[in-house]
Amino acid sequence: MGEKVFMQGNAALSEAAIRAGCKMFFGYPITPSSEMPEYYAEQAPSRDLVFVQAETEVAAFNMIAGAAAAGKRAMTGTAGPGFSLGQEAMSYMAAAALPAVVVNVMRPGPADGEILASQGDYFQATKGGGHGDYNVICLTPYSVQEQVDMIGEAFELAEKYLNPVIVLSDATLAKMRENVELPDEIVTKDISFEGAVTGAKNREHNVITTCGDGPAQWEEFNLKLQEKFQTIRENEQQWESTQTEDAEIVIVAFGSVARVALDTVKLARENGIKVGMIRPKRVWPFPEKAFKDMDDKKFFVVELNAGQMVEDVKLSVKHKENVSFYGRLGGFTPTPIELYEKIRELYL
Amino acid sequence: MKSQFMFSGIGGQGVISIGELICTAAMKKGYVVTFAPSYGQEKRGGRTMCQMVVSQEMGSPIISEADLLLVMDERSLKDYEKQVKSGGYLIINSNMVEIKPERTDIHVVYVPANDLAQEIGNAKTANMIALGVAMKYLDFVDLDEVKAELKGIFSGSKERLIPINEEALDKGYQLS
Amino acid sequence: MQVVYKRPSALQDNYFKYCGGCGHAIINKLIAEIIDEKGWLEDTIMVWPIGCSVYADQYFKTDSICALHGRAPALATGVKRARPENLVVVYQGDGDMVSEGMSEIIHAAIRGEKFSVIFVNNAIYGMTGGQMAPTTLEGQKTSTTPYGKSVANEGAPVNMAELISNITGCIYSERVAVNSPRNIAMTKKAVKKSLEMQMEGKGMSFVEILSPCPTGWGLKPLKSLDFVEDNMMPVYPLGVFKDTEVES
Repeated sequence: MGEKVFMQGNAALSEAAIRAGCKMFFGYPITPSSEMPEYYAEQAPSRDLVFVQAETEVAAFNMIAGAAAAGKRAMTGTAGPGFSLGQEAMSYMAAAALPAVVVNVMRPGPADGEILASQGDYFQATKGGGHGDYNVICLTPYSVQEQVDMIGEAFELAEKYLNPVIVLSDATLAKMRENVELPDEIVTKDISFEGAVTGAKNREHNVITTCGDGPAQWEEFNLKLQEKFQTIRENEQQWESTQTEDAEIVIVAFGSVARVALDTVKLARENGIKVGMIRPKRVWPFPEKAFKDMDDKKFFVVELNAGQMVEDVKLSVKHKENVSFYGRLGGFTPTPIELYEKIRELYL
Repeated sequence: MKSQFMFSGIGGQGVISIGELICTAAMKKGYVVTFAPSYGQEKRGGRTMCQMVVSQEMGSPIISEADLLLVMDERSLKDYEKQVKSGGYLIINSNMVEIKPERTDIHVVYVPANDLAQEIGNAKTANMIALGVAMKYLDFVDLDEVKAELKGIFSGSKERLIPINEEALDKGYQLS
Repeated sequence: MQVVYKRPSALQDNYFKYCGGCGHAIINKLIAEIIDEKGWLEDTIMVWPIGCSVYADQYFKTDSICALHGRAPALATGVKRARPENLVVVYQGDGDMVSEGMSEIIHAAIRGEKFSVIFVNNAIYGMTGGQMAPTTLEGQKTSTTPYGKSVANEGAPVNMAELISNITGCIYSERVAVNSPRNIAMTKKAVKKSLEMQMEGKGMSFVEILSPCPTGWGLKPLKSLDFVEDNMMPVYPLGVFKDTEVES
């Protein structure tokens, strides 16, 4: 560990991905994610990277599937409309057990929408997103440092479970600059998992297919897939609790909203209101364990959407009526005082 | 120590550049810094604003109240005047803003940044003139520490622009 | 006794489940023969489509990956860029390529992806039960053009080999057929050339193969061979549309 820099979220994440051995990037430019393909394009010649600007996100997502299938670390970065186009391939990668990483820099939808921060893709990212029964591990950084740390973690998780992984960022995190410590570069990582298609040299041939062979076979396949997701649910929940022990009101927020709420917690405490925070560091699997032994607390869920994660919070707590929601749409992010005032309005 | 401030203007006025400049200097000095820009959909002529927090610890990148607001055009004044903290500073580029602020509980500083930039011979340095003025109130870094980061913006063939930008920073700083 | 003909060793012992008279079995076998002759079994990664050849991984001893509908050229871009030293063969039908995947194939050609594309054109959707493809002939009856394909409503057939040949990134484009022993031999030659070009590190090559679909066409296998000759070839003429090696 070492190099300390002042870097933009998209660029820092890309640099960290390269240092984590992801030498292949396939992408299509879309605001607010375009600094990722631009970073890879710029670095490609001197660092022996593969960068392909795909014709569509449909193609880009299929390209990372191909590269992962061939045993290499590969990723794409996109936003809103592009993420939607990629869902077909997300479903494919989940079924084909391909360990690729997708960064979705959320912007407000529906459709073309706006380009500032949003968390409107929560459902799409955590509930499958494409067709069929599957889930994708979904990491939610809240600082440029976590953009860096989590991209390496994303590849580790993808390869551990042979499943695609999403880093769910937003326009604020992607565009902002912060102090950040970059990891050392690892030697090029060839993931070559057991089923990778690399040419049948000195082994039986490998087949990657998502085409079922009758309902009995396909149900068995699906049940096995669900077993994997259950294991992930049990083992991979991650969250950070801030001053929750004595808190009467617990803010639940992720991503850039959780950053805002850090100041709100402080402000509330300064004014004698016992506020804490649960910040999911991963939204799938959702950290339901974080809500254990909190039956007497009130939960204030804040999101940049019309109320998506709040559903998972309600499923995780004992008393649904203790959960309140506040959301901003269109690209606005609430300020710390705005949240503080909302808390006063709701609870005092 | 915690300083929260905003620069706002139109795309092309160099608002983002001066924001990054002072933030880089602050980061080098050991502060925890967040620089959060927000752009319009269009590349040039659109709204452009950045919120910055210089502190000892990580907090919200989104500012409730700004200790200082620098506006390079009139629309920025209309949009963000209300976000200045009571007793805070509002720096107005008087060449581009004809209206007066409504607030009476804040310190207002007028600077004809475009005229002054013309005076020193480079119209594009209006942003540096304005930053020079702001530096008087953003005292977590010295002027020299900011100047030292100009090489990050003006590298290669643009290196020759460093002296005139240093001059612009000085000129603004001496005004206030 | 001298063995003059045997099952290619690049194939598994499974029997082909294609319909009687279908061209896929012949084309699969030709690819396997070439892999045998060249000793490329360990190098080959087959990229299969959605369509009647979706289960072709069950026939080959090579590594196989089956793409989503139409996406084989995009998936193969990832595979080939990850492993430029491997032989990547993209195998697509007309519904898969020309309808769902038109964008992917055109852009793979534009980028000049260094893989081989084997395009099986039988002018119909075979797997899903005989619906119209963009390659379906004018007047041809399918389950979605029960009164015959109308150019005014559905458009004219698409000539892929010519279309792809016009793209700079394509270095070789030929149309062949598998409706006669002579044409089958020509097909093998074309496929072999395409695979060789790839192993020499050259750009994208494209082989379109006119192939019978007796089930989809509602014709007996022998009549299907005539249909290829009499109905398809006038619209889809055989020949080399591009060969940068010959030109230079």
